[in-house]
Amino acid sequence: MENDISKTILRVAGIIINELKLEDVTPETFEPDLDLVDEVGVDSMDLATVALVLRDEYGIRIDEDDYPKLTTVRIIAEYINNKLSNDD
Amino acid sequence: MTSNPAAEIEYKFSEIIADPVVRERFARVRKYFFLRESTYDMTNRCNIRCDGCYYFTGEKQFAGENRNRDDWQALLETEKERGITFVVLAGAEPSLAVDLCRVCYKVIPLGAIATNGLNHIPRDINYKIHISAWGNDRTSLEIRGAENMLARQMANYEDDPRAVFVYTFTPVNIDQAREVTELLAENSQKITFNMFSAPVGYKGHLRHTGVTLARTREIMSELLEQYPETVIYSPYNIVAHTHGKGLHELYSCSYPRMNPSTAIGLGRSFRQYRTNLEWDRQAACCVPDTDCADCRHYAAGSAVVTARMYRHAATPDTFKAWLDYVDTYLAVWVMGYEKGKNLCERPPQPPKDEN
Repeated sequence: MENDISKTILRVAGIIINELKLEDVTPETFEPDLDLVDEVGVDSMDLATVALVLRDEYGIRIDEDDYPKLTTVRIIAEYINNKLSNDD
Repeated sequence: MTSNPAAEIEYKFSEIIADPVVRERFARVRKYFFLRESTYDMTNRCNIRCDGCYYFTGEKQFAGENRNRDDWQALLETEKERGITFVVLAGAEPSLAVDLCRVCYKVIPLGAIATNGLNHIPRDINYKIHISAWGNDRTSLEIRGAENMLARQMANYEDDPRAVFVYTFTPVNIDQAREVTELLAENSQKITFNMFSAPVGYKGHLRHTGVTLARTREIMSELLEQYPETVIYSPYNIVAHTHGKGLHELYSCSYPRMNPSTAIGLGRSFRQYRTNLEWDRQAACCVPDTDCADCRHYAAGSAVVTARMYRHAATPDTFKAWLDYVDTYLAVWVMGYEKGKNLCERPPQPPKDEN
């Protein structure tokens, strides 16, 4: 499980870096507990775009009402893993 | 929170944007995702009085008027620091406070001014200018008390790339939109459409019914087809704004007044300042004192529909419809953005949040 969440964190970080064109950071160096809104500057439209890429990648839907809760890479990764385990 | 099996997802987003036309349009509108709006009442004065005016409803009309340019400059600088990139200067009549509009422009250079168009706003304030039209001149005289209104508005903003006429459909002026649009087309001026949205407690005769919504839909479609160079609108705008359900019921309004979350998006950043430079979260939306259940306002839709990108990325058609809507919003509100060709001529009904 620990391994699963680490993998998901890396993948989510990679998607955010790619979609937001973040520089000077890699999935490995992205701090998973950074606040995406306050510390990275993510806005709702950025998050919607990331959510669509995650939908493609993992085959899960992300509830629009859940956006406010998705404040860090770690929380997003946990959200994805919970969704995937509920679908099993 | 419910889970959804992958099999229920009909299209991948990557498949939807694999279409080069869709990909290009998405890339074009995405450049404007940085826009973060707040609105400002500039003065409590107006040179006319209109039946159903949203400004002269509720408490905001009684706020004291701060005309101090230094105070406005300080406010706008603070707004810029907290991430606001787009201002909407509105009530009551911003052309009566041109010096304050200029202060705003110098600090935040992207924005729009909502005006009745009876005074010319100097060109050095390079915001979009939204000129309100409520019917032909007979109707304007009746409900706004101003003579020769359209002719004066058109003359004030002739050959002005900032200007967009905003025609508000009410139950009593639907067919007059033909006459107004034709005149604007002859003069190479632009028009977009708005829907009268009743203020809270409104008891007048301008509230739309199912019959007037249907008639408005017909006229909008006719004018969009007949005057594609003049009318800045899309078939999906027509669906969204003439639906029997209002914008909040269709899309779940994200302005603070209806959205308690302060985590992200409009609920976090949007403020509606009154003329005393104060704001109230409980009243904060782009058209305060509008009855949310009846809101089909163009300004509200520009933010509320745009924010619902995720649910529109369900099928190629729903996403094209959303792109048309955002393309329209940007062409109406942002200087320098030109409307593209509409991509979805037969738009679907507004998609629901599937979760």
